[in-house]
Amino acid sequence: MSGTDAPPPIAPASDAPAPDAPVAGTSLWRDARRRLLRNRLAVFGLVVVAIVLTASLVGPAIIEWTTGNTYDSIPADRSRIRALPPFTGVDGRFSWEHPMGTDILGRDILARVLLGGRISLMVGIISTVVSLVIGVAYGATAGYVGGRVDEAMMRVVDVLYAVPYMMIVIVLLALFGGQSPLGQLVLLFVSLGAVSWLTMARIVRGQVLSLKNQEFVLAARATGVRATRIVARHLVPNALGPVVVYATLTIPSVMLLEAFLSFLGLGVQAPLASWGSLAAEGVQNMAVFPWQLICPGATMGITLFSLNFIGDGLRDALDPQMRKS
Amino acid sequence: MLRFILRRLFVTVPMVLVVVSLTWGLIRLAPGNFYTGEKPIPPAIEQNLRQRYGLDRPWYVQYGRMLGSVAAGDFGISLHYIGQPVNGILASALPVSALLGALSYLLALVVGVAAGVLAALRQNSRLDYASMTAAMVGISLPNFVLGPVLVLVFALSWYWLPPARWNGFGINLILPVVTLSAVYMAYVARLARSGMLEVLRSNYIRTARAKGLPERTVLLRHAVRGGLLPVVSFSGPALAFLITGAVVVERIFALPGLGNYFINANLNRDEPLIIGIVAFTSIAVLVFNLLVDVAYAFVDPRVRY
Amino acid sequence: MRRALGVLLSRALSLLALSPLALSACAGPGGDGPYFGKVAPPEGQTLRYISGSEPESLDPQVATGQPEARIILSLFDGLTEYAPRTGEPIPALAERWDVNGDSTEFTFHLRTNARWSDGTPITADDIVYSLRRGLSPALASRNAYLAYGIENAQAYNEGAVFARERATGAFVPDPANPRIRLTLPADPEVRGEVLARLPGLADGQPDLDFVPVQPEDVGVVADDAHTVRVRMALPVPYFLGLVAHQFFRPVPRQAIETWGERWTDPAHIVTSGAFLLERWLPYNEINVVRNPGYWDEVRLDRISFYTLEDVTTMLNLYKAGEVDALYNHTVPAAWVDTIRPYKDYMDAPEASVEYLLFNVERPPMDDIRVRKAFNMAVDKVALAQYRRTAKPLSGFTPEGIFPGYPQPTGDPFDPDRARALLAEAGYAGRDGAWDPSTFPIADVALTYNTAETNRQLAEFVQAQWKQNLGLTVPLRNLEFRTFLTVRNDRDYSGLARGGWAGDYLDPFTFLELFSTPAGNNGTGWFDPRYAAMLDAANREGDPAARYARLADAEAYLLDAQPIVPLLTMATNWVKKPYVKGLFANPVTMHAWKFVYIEHDPSNWDLEDPTPR
Repeated sequence: MSGTDAPPPIAPASDAPAPDAPVAGTSLWRDARRRLLRNRLAVFGLVVVAIVLTASLVGPAIIEWTTGNTYDSIPADRSRIRALPPFTGVDGRFSWEHPMGTDILGRDILARVLLGGRISLMVGIISTVVSLVIGVAYGATAGYVGGRVDEAMMRVVDVLYAVPYMMIVIVLLALFGGQSPLGQLVLLFVSLGAVSWLTMARIVRGQVLSLKNQEFVLAARATGVRATRIVARHLVPNALGPVVVYATLTIPSVMLLEAFLSFLGLGVQAPLASWGSLAAEGVQNMAVFPWQLICPGATMGITLFSLNFIGDGLRDALDPQMRKS
Repeated sequence: MLRFILRRLFVTVPMVLVVVSLTWGLIRLAPGNFYTGEKPIPPAIEQNLRQRYGLDRPWYVQYGRMLGSVAAGDFGISLHYIGQPVNGILASALPVSALLGALSYLLALVVGVAAGVLAALRQNSRLDYASMTAAMVGISLPNFVLGPVLVLVFALSWYWLPPARWNGFGINLILPVVTLSAVYMAYVARLARSGMLEVLRSNYIRTARAKGLPERTVLLRHAVRGGLLPVVSFSGPALAFLITGAVVVERIFALPGLGNYFINANLNRDEPLIIGIVAFTSIAVLVFNLLVDVAYAFVDPRVRY
Repeated sequence: MRRALGVLLSRALSLLALSPLALSACAGPGGDGPYFGKVAPPEGQTLRYISGSEPESLDPQVATGQPEARIILSLFDGLTEYAPRTGEPIPALAERWDVNGDSTEFTFHLRTNARWSDGTPITADDIVYSLRRGLSPALASRNAYLAYGIENAQAYNEGAVFARERATGAFVPDPANPRIRLTLPADPEVRGEVLARLPGLADGQPDLDFVPVQPEDVGVVADDAHTVRVRMALPVPYFLGLVAHQFFRPVPRQAIETWGERWTDPAHIVTSGAFLLERWLPYNEINVVRNPGYWDEVRLDRISFYTLEDVTTMLNLYKAGEVDALYNHTVPAAWVDTIRPYKDYMDAPEASVEYLLFNVERPPMDDIRVRKAFNMAVDKVALAQYRRTAKPLSGFTPEGIFPGYPQPTGDPFDPDRARALLAEAGYAGRDGAWDPSTFPIADVALTYNTAETNRQLAEFVQAQWKQNLGLTVPLRNLEFRTFLTVRNDRDYSGLARGGWAGDYLDPFTFLELFSTPAGNNGTGWFDPRYAAMLDAANREGDPAARYARLADAEAYLLDAQPIVPLLTMATNWVKKPYVKGLFANPVTMHAWKFVYIEHDPSNWDLEDPTPR
């Protein structure tokens, strides 16, 4: 990348140090960004994710404008209601109209994949944020405070693991599953958020447990630093490695969980689809219409790949022990 | 340590009680009933059914009876699989799930740890990239895609392995075990790698090296133990999930395990069966998590209870 | 950067590499052979058949679903049996039967050489016991409604009472049908209400005793050890087709009284059919073996019923040659074009339909013009074409199943007329033409239960309304039991999906769905006139005249439009060429004793010699 060797860009106002933070705080973030941008894989990941994100935001409109296809347009012409391979017209010859082919109802798969991207990315991002915020805070608190509190907090997590998730969703739907699409979406995020932080909490707790007796924490405590500050400034940053790795692992599993929830009636309603549900449909017809699996699957795979490159880059960039590199 | 274990085992009892009660309440709130069918049943028959299964009694009687059955360890008779004792169903499904889960966990652990540790020791080498790429493919390929793809290749194109069905311990298990363990293998590999990297940079490893300990001792006695901590804390949920939640794999490969029963029990509102499986799995989750916490103390001397 | 690209490329390639492989996999090992997948007959006379979900029970009177029925049919003999080709009733336990002129009495003459698997002979008493058990309130069978045509059967099942005059000791006859006794609800309050509505009874009420209906009152009598007479409350011309149903298959009193609910365990079970239960491995397989004491010829030595649910897995097993035949509706629409050219494919119209229900109690669907418009705006021919196997349906009874039935047709596909009707219903702009923006679309949704085919159907219908009416009806999918609760309680707005497979081969099994009082059929639509028309049709002695009257009733139903008829389903399954005696009959119920494995490939493509 050409920009790699350029001097680090001047921090915009939003990155300016908070009034109480010492100057060193700024260079932490600036350093991190510099290191991230020097990581080629991470930059590559950023570019790919940006492309996928842009494509799913504006792509469907462009497709509709150029070819008239939307994610839910089943052709009025009966002869066109069938699955066409990529780049193939109804006459069997090459055609630009459906670069990813069509599904059995004759719908353009590209349009469906792009629109599905909006949902899957949103699901992935929101659940990751929930798992980061709740899971890290919860796990770090339990691990740092320890003793009875830790015990109680972890038993709550255990209970949440054990209560049948499927029943919870069925009941949530029965109680709040009105017909408004917005309500459905909120319900979906609540349901996904409810489980995505549990394992994260356990992992963070484990890390904090092993870190909290290390010298730098003991030193901080001895000098009278407040507990919240120790957790936030010393423990969490040092536990970031596994946290970032696990967070990037959460995204695919949440995307798949979303596909399962749509089976129960939660999640986006047809004809909308997500990458998970498109892939699930593609699997069924894999031996007949392989492109129905390959197209959404590859898009999803490339995006997840890139997200992981970003995750790895972020971890290396934020790692306080790597500061010197 | 022993006191810690005993205390945790003691906590298990109220925990299971809470889980089972919550589940019982949820089943009551869920719409539909085990006898709900395509055709609405005449009120008289519904009345007969409710009477027959004691659903006409006050809720506290039903709740008490449920608690009694859990306490006695005899979960009663399934509502959907008419006349079949839940304990019998558990006894038939558990060995399948346990075998599938245990094999998958072993495979994931062995391959994942080996790949992760080697990758960490040779960071940025070809081996590192290759194993991490493989791990990423493992994570990005959901098992409902990986399973059918494996079937397509090994069972339907080359006719090497059977495409599905349970046949005891044998070649029928190869595809499901590989499918089920793939994601975990990848998780373990990545967690192990990052944990190892973290530890290799830590002071105590530096100290160990400075003491002049041989590299092998440093790695095996010190680094691996600390570096695998994230793997260990991931193992509890993973094991519990592998044994109880292999629903997708069980469906794709038509295996008569707990996951399949559990999904159907939920969909069928089969209360005794749901309660039975939940009680059983919550004990399993608690025990696995306890094992994990104990393992922690062994793996990482810094952790104290 | 280069490394990352390499990673990506290799991943993309590994995915793409699958596609030629997948395509070649379609052709199967035999290349362009006439059969799908591996063709390797099993050793000897063994059939491996996929029967669907794990059965709830093997008790014929308790189990309700088709997965159960497929297995039960091998274990229990009926008075009649489904003919392998047509599904029409043929003699089984009953050698022959007599029917009186108006189909109110059926006399079955049992064969004398039929035995239970424990050696005891099957007699008329077994038939009587079984029917009484099936109807007993204590058993609470969900299929008991099938026998409601039998005299006092419904009353017994519902715990009703007779009214007896205290003075004379005579039972009060039913004013609507004086041939039988009047039955009343057991609950005194409800009974009082019913009595108050009956003409000429209210004054005599204090002199009445109320006697619970006993099992002995059910209209089934053993005239001698091998003759059973079944009396009907009303004419039931379709009864012979019904008695092949599992619910009517006799069950062994000796085993049930000894073992109670657990009598179906392999260790305890006593059966009457062509096969004996050998092994039951839950969610895996159920093995049955030939019954050496069976009265008829049985050609298979063994059937392994594989119990599994995932359709793709079934097709995989089939293609790999690990199973020999599947149950119906197992070939997804996407696969039909691929599989149809092979000789494995079993395609025939089936006695089952798919339709949509309106909730006629909630606006805007309370307006018949709106309902008619929604029906006319769906192109069912296009729908059937996309589904590949099903046939378009404009009436409510399946098309091409009942020979001689003058099936009425509903409104044809006509978007112009649909828009005009909507305008007429008040959804019009200033110019008086249909204006979609005036329609309360927020009050309407199409609710369906989760299944790939249901979703595609809903998406298709939604697109039709969008194209033809300019309305985007939201879709709403629900998990099965939530869906059933919502539909049965009419807790939905707009439309819901419905499907019905006939219990027997007669239009009445479909038309009856909408004759339930209080609109207890998911739509809220009920018209006493419709129920009366069906009653009148069943009283008709002449089959042709009865069909004509039933068709009138169906036309009346279609005119009221509580439903949108969509499709007549097709059998749509596969079997290997060496499996003989297994046919695509319209009920997709197989009499297993006719099935055999043909090991000589030269006979595979010849006409199946199985009679009937």
